[in-house]
Amino acid sequence: MKKADKVAYDKDYAAAKKDGKPFFPYAIYKDTIIAGLAILVVIVLAITVRVEMGEPVNPASTDFLPRPDWYFYFAFELLKIFANQNALTPVIMATFMVPNILIILLVIWPFIDRGPERRIWKRPFAMGTAVLVISGLCYLTFLGASTPEGIAKGETLPLTGLDAAASAGEAVYLANGCSSCHMIKGVGAPGPGPELTNEGVKGWDNAKMTQWMKAPLAPMPSFASLPPEDLDNLSIFLNGLGTKYK
Amino acid sequence: MTTKDIGPKNPVEQGVTQLVDFVDERSGVKNSGRWLMFRNIPAGTSWFQTLGFTAMALFGMQAITGIILAMYYKPDPNTAFGSIASITNEVTWGWMVRGMHKWGASAMIVIVFLHMGRVFIWGAYKYPRELTWVTGAMLLLMTMFMGLTGYLLVWDQKAYWATVVAVNIFASAPILGPYIGDILRAGPEFGPDTLSRFYSIHMLLIPGGIATFIGLHLYFIIRLGISEPPWAKRALRVQRDEEDARRKAARDRQAGLKGSVSFPPAWVDDEQEVTR
Repeated sequence: MKKADKVAYDKDYAAAKKDGKPFFPYAIYKDTIIAGLAILVVIVLAITVRVEMGEPVNPASTDFLPRPDWYFYFAFELLKIFANQNALTPVIMATFMVPNILIILLVIWPFIDRGPERRIWKRPFAMGTAVLVISGLCYLTFLGASTPEGIAKGETLPLTGLDAAASAGEAVYLANGCSSCHMIKGVGAPGPGPELTNEGVKGWDNAKMTQWMKAPLAPMPSFASLPPEDLDNLSIFLNGLGTKYK
Repeated sequence: MTTKDIGPKNPVEQGVTQLVDFVDERSGVKNSGRWLMFRNIPAGTSWFQTLGFTAMALFGMQAITGIILAMYYKPDPNTAFGSIASITNEVTWGWMVRGMHKWGASAMIVIVFLHMGRVFIWGAYKYPRELTWVTGAMLLLMTMFMGLTGYLLVWDQKAYWATVVAVNIFASAPILGPYIGDILRAGPEFGPDTLSRFYSIHMLLIPGGIATFIGLHLYFIIRLGISEPPWAKRALRVQRDEEDARRKAARDRQAGLKGSVSFPPAWVDDEQEVTR
């Protein structure tokens, strides 16, 4: 903003203040009404939609649904978009790049948009950015709210050609909530983890897969607490997906 | 005979007056309070400009319900879930306070986002209010972080594993990530100390930060004044007047150009412009 624009703004604002009204009661009464309404809505919600108790924490059981609260659904959906499926969607985009770029833009925005213009219809770029970001966040939140949470109890995977070890591996897979984040042949959540229908095509050996289960790349949690034979069977099962087991 | 003002006769009234005067003598609170309450704001100040106050009121409500919850909550992996169950099922009005705290968190996020949207759309972050925006952006980030740390305290499966994933994400950041992960988890693994660490962050560290930044935010707002809506009647009138003046000047210039081909010459018009 140029010096002349600053001076013009200061003069204009001083004029607005001179023609203005006192803070008390004109602003205070509006503030009180809206804040009172907001608190009333919270009280009504607290009474009508009672809080529920979940399952108590059991770090040994990995049968879980790692879902955040609704206001983090957009970040959660980003994880699904950048699920490390190929070179264009590295997981670091969702875990680091996009969130941090958004945060930095948010904080330094007044130093990017420095023009004196305040009228909405004269700021198409800023308004375009606003519409894009707001609709993007709403859309991702909606997606996060409407995705199914894993698979129903008793559901199985539509796979053929499983041998004994692979069947045991499939049982480990189903019992440990893997389908809350991964999909195999259309069964399970479509993210944040990559789809595993053709996992075996990568050609990993069982030791490498077992090592991955113990120390995976974020955001996947570690499964080091599983018994070694479960990890072995799980590795055999995963390394055959799309090749031996279809 | 001279008379001396001894103030009100009622001893209570007299006591209160004396107390106020005592404080005022040392703090100047009467003048600054009067200035704060009766300072002028632009006449066009709109209902949309109540969202900031509403966010602050919700923070106050979260603080009060949070203090009550902290009286019954036990931040220990073995007892946390039980204490939440007792708050929900046994403590008088416990379900209500917990419900208000939970819904209040969502309401606060919604209101803070709406407040930010309003400021953005109005261009109210522009000169001289850039730092008001920066402090507000910090408040938004801290509010989100309150949501993240509070989620774990319920200590149920969903919250636990969601937080494991969230902390994994923090820990995967380049360079500083591993350190941030260790700080959040209170060690390399999710353990008993993680819960008390999140509890401390959730009820001491971030609320302290939020209170500080609300103070800074308010300081800027009071110092710089509430912004005027871009469509305030007064602003539109000024814009219309400026537009009219510009048009009139253009017309005059046109008339001057035409005049210059004959008599009187252009400089006569210019001089009239100056004297007017």
